[in-house]
Amino acid sequence: MDDQGCPRCKTTKYRNPSLKLMVNVCGHTLCESCVEMLFVRGSGNCVQCNTPLRKSNFRVQLFEDPAIDKEVEIRKKVLKIYNKRELDFSTLKEYNDYLEQVEDIVFNLTNNIDVERTKQIMEQYQRDNKDIIQKNKAKLTREQEELEELLLQEQQDSEQKRLETLQEEQRQLQTKRKNKQALLDELESSRLPAAVLLAQHKDRAVQLETQIEKQKQNVKPANIFSTGIMMGQTVSFASVSRVEEVLYVYQPLCIDAYGPPVPELDQLGRLGYLNHVCTASPQDQAGGYTSGLACHRAIQDAFSGLFTL
Amino acid sequence: MKLNIEGLLVYFPYDYIYPEQYSYMLELKRTLDAKGHGVLEMPSGTGKTISLLSLIVAYQKAYPLEVTKLVYCSRTVPEIEKVVEELRKLMDYYAKQTGAKNDFLALALSSRKNLCIHPEVSSLRFGKEVDGKCHSLTASYIRAQHHSNPSQPVCQFYEQFDAVGRQVPIPPGIYNLDDLKDFGRRKGWCPYFLARYAILHANIVVYSYHYLLDPKIADLVSKELTKKSVVVFDEAHNIDNVCIDSMSVNITRRTLDRCQTNVETLQNTISRIKETDAAKLREEYRRLVEGLKEANVARETDMYLSNPVLPDEILQEAVPGSIRTAEHFVGFIKRFLEYLKARLRIHHVVQESAPQFLKDIYEKVCIDRKPLRFCAERLRSLLRTLEIADIADFSAITLISHFATLVSTYSKGFTIIIEPFEDRTPTIANPVLHFSCMDPSIAIKPVFGRFQSVIITSGTLSPLDIYPRILDFHPVTTASFTMTLARTCLCPLIVGRGNDQVAMTSKFETREDFAVIRNYGNLLLEMSAIVPDGIVAFFTSYIYMENIVASWYEQGILENIQRNKLIFIETQDAAETSMALEKYQEACENGRGAILLSVARGKVSEGIDFVHHFGRAVIMFGVPYVYTQSRILKARLEYLRDQFQIRENDFLTFDAMRHAAQCVGRAIRGKTDYGLMIFADKRYARADKRGKLPRWIQEHLTDGSLNLTIDETVQLAKHFLRQMAQPFRQEDQLGLSLLTLEQLQSEDMLQKIAQIAQQA
Repeated sequence: MDDQGCPRCKTTKYRNPSLKLMVNVCGHTLCESCVEMLFVRGSGNCVQCNTPLRKSNFRVQLFEDPAIDKEVEIRKKVLKIYNKRELDFSTLKEYNDYLEQVEDIVFNLTNNIDVERTKQIMEQYQRDNKDIIQKNKAKLTREQEELEELLLQEQQDSEQKRLETLQEEQRQLQTKRKNKQALLDELESSRLPAAVLLAQHKDRAVQLETQIEKQKQNVKPANIFSTGIMMGQTVSFASVSRVEEVLYVYQPLCIDAYGPPVPELDQLGRLGYLNHVCTASPQDQAGGYTSGLACHRAIQDAFSGLFTL
Repeated sequence: MKLNIEGLLVYFPYDYIYPEQYSYMLELKRTLDAKGHGVLEMPSGTGKTISLLSLIVAYQKAYPLEVTKLVYCSRTVPEIEKVVEELRKLMDYYAKQTGAKNDFLALALSSRKNLCIHPEVSSLRFGKEVDGKCHSLTASYIRAQHHSNPSQPVCQFYEQFDAVGRQVPIPPGIYNLDDLKDFGRRKGWCPYFLARYAILHANIVVYSYHYLLDPKIADLVSKELTKKSVVVFDEAHNIDNVCIDSMSVNITRRTLDRCQTNVETLQNTISRIKETDAAKLREEYRRLVEGLKEANVARETDMYLSNPVLPDEILQEAVPGSIRTAEHFVGFIKRFLEYLKARLRIHHVVQESAPQFLKDIYEKVCIDRKPLRFCAERLRSLLRTLEIADIADFSAITLISHFATLVSTYSKGFTIIIEPFEDRTPTIANPVLHFSCMDPSIAIKPVFGRFQSVIITSGTLSPLDIYPRILDFHPVTTASFTMTLARTCLCPLIVGRGNDQVAMTSKFETREDFAVIRNYGNLLLEMSAIVPDGIVAFFTSYIYMENIVASWYEQGILENIQRNKLIFIETQDAAETSMALEKYQEACENGRGAILLSVARGKVSEGIDFVHHFGRAVIMFGVPYVYTQSRILKARLEYLRDQFQIRENDFLTFDAMRHAAQCVGRAIRGKTDYGLMIFADKRYARADKRGKLPRWIQEHLTDGSLNLTIDETVQLAKHFLRQMAQPFRQEDQLGLSLLTLEQLQSEDMLQKIAQIAQQA
């Protein structure tokens, strides 16, 4: 870090620890005083690559490698236009292709390859996808949402924990004090010998301890509603994107029982199967039971698997 | 002897058995029956390893379909070797008893450094060098080049193995590292790759924790182990720290600089390849467009250990378009790198969560979360395509990519701390970005989820209920076993005061107090006069030890101690320490007696045993709390409190006590051994500390041995040592703490055994 310096006035961080390096869109550094001096009129050319620059575009250099500063700058700009989300694509593959395309554009712009053409592509894209860009501007990506949620939860948790422990400590202190006072009172008024009272007190104290321990173990803060939605989370009511699919068609189940065909349920009476089955009482029939059901089941059972394979 | 453990025939290779071993096997069998996980604590020196091995092997033989494999994880290479030797004994016993030929395949696996037999490569000194060199000889494209250009050097051992080694399985038997090397030499096969291939069908695998816990290695080595395995973590009292270390990343300025050169090399290689062999890059591009299919195929039906670094969804999706081509990806990495550099240029400490970091990175350099997630995978693919031989050079950029993937994958359980300088040297700028994992359950989760039984065992796991909580699993058995003793061979004493009644404690406020330091010195002096042979003393930190020893020197205490015994000191330098250890043992051997001053959490406290005369007394000066001001620890404590409802103090005490127990446990390595355990701090007498010691130490801690003064301690110690010095034969143990088969089967003994295990 110490060997970094301004390429124009040759000052280094080592000699001047308060040196501030600045970077512009071309990715070349200048120190703050040189910027002041060269760009008095608000604009000028880069000392190293002759790119026309504005003074207002100079930024403090964050990274050791100024190329990274430049890339991040470009990337931010590109991402403002290319802000499609994963949900905007039907398959993951398309999304990945899109990501790669974005990466290509950033790569080209930072390394000065085909700058003109790349810019044209970007403009074209911007024109084509105006509404999507507008729409997505307000939306965060799903991952960012997730992160925000986690952060929020972390905050809530720590706050809650702090309060809880505070309360818990106070409560414990109080009960202990009360206990002590009770012992003193008892010693004053009771007729039992002091040793017995002390033993009782000790017992009670131990019980209290174990109780506190137990409580501690099953404390579980509720931060989820019974529906599984986190408390404090905003639920979006935007319509779910419809998926076009072929409707499901029911196909009757066909089971090969390896036996003679079983008569249908309504044929049982006619074929005389029901003659030897005890008839259902009115109580049974109240629930929808008929003797045919049991009989049909029994026949199915008996017929299946009679033929060898 | 042959045992009947609830209907299971277990061959036990010794004529006698300790009652607690029997009890241990009972619990273990129940755990295996339930196909669940277990936490078992049994004191060291009571034959944990052989009980584990003999039961699980018996179980494997009885139910070959239920349990197909035993994966035994230990910490160090000597421990691994020890396990294999025990196993060999067991298998010999099987062969002798049943007369059948052994059809078990058991092998140890270690790094290339310990297994390589290539004359050039194995002569390298560091593990990283060996790995790099090996890679440069065995990578697939190197071998492909060798086909067209025979002058390109390759490893003939690997070639041999690759040509024939896979068809011919390694014959059943027990292989330790040396056996594998011998076998490799005889056949001309590479033992490392042979072992890695053979663990797939071996019945027993013994290796280090990292092969299962470290996501980067586990993915390579252990991902094809079957679900029906039993995994044992031995000496697992530190397992949470291993888990955390394997998921944490530390980035310094130097890492970033090395990464910068890596990026430049990548860029140059890409532009060169683009000119010469553009088809290769196109091929990679095509593959990426289609998604990382090859990895996908291998993952079918959850047959493989899932990698916590890369969640499943990543492998199923295609790489996002923004990092698909090589140039874009390098640009991406560059932006990320510059961002990190900018972040490291700070003057005050920053702590933030992963979501905050992600938000900031999007605002500053427009990096989305999704491509970050794919960073590690994309880099691996690129390195493979570019055919870069020396992977070791690229460790910096690999580290950064791992960091990128982790930070974007996990929103919980991690914290980012950026410190501009170290706490000890606030004037020297040395910025570090700690991406620290706070939840050990993240790394170990795939292990618990995947394997049918996971056993966590060690000599010191107390309190037992905390491990399931911090590792987030539900054990079916948690039990602590005591040591049955024919004589009380351990004597824990808590010294709270000096002879002048000044409280002895390493509490921060009083640790510089002259009276405390003098009392500590007096204690050591008195002990050095009465304890025969070796004494090991542990301090809470290196700095504290230095201060105290300097102070002792000024007060003349050191001189007095040296009249009785020689003094050796552990330092942070590994070579120096091993020298000190060697001389210490020599001094103990020749009867001169010696004192070793060392540090809790140091090398001595973890891996080195002081059997018999090497350690007749252990003195623990102070309570070994961790350095509580570190921000990483603070963040972790907060997380534990919020997520697992473990109070900060509880965890700190637990951590301190497990290290204290580990230190004092160094002296007792068996039932014939004996030793004093002196806790020199009055805080040990409190119920919350005492209650966290392992049960086998607590049992011998009576009210009479709490808060002693130095001369009381000396009296008790003298008495104890005189008792212990009486001859002790095996017959004295028999029937009490050592059982024959007949004794084991008697009714009242079985009743006694039932009391040994205490369920938590």
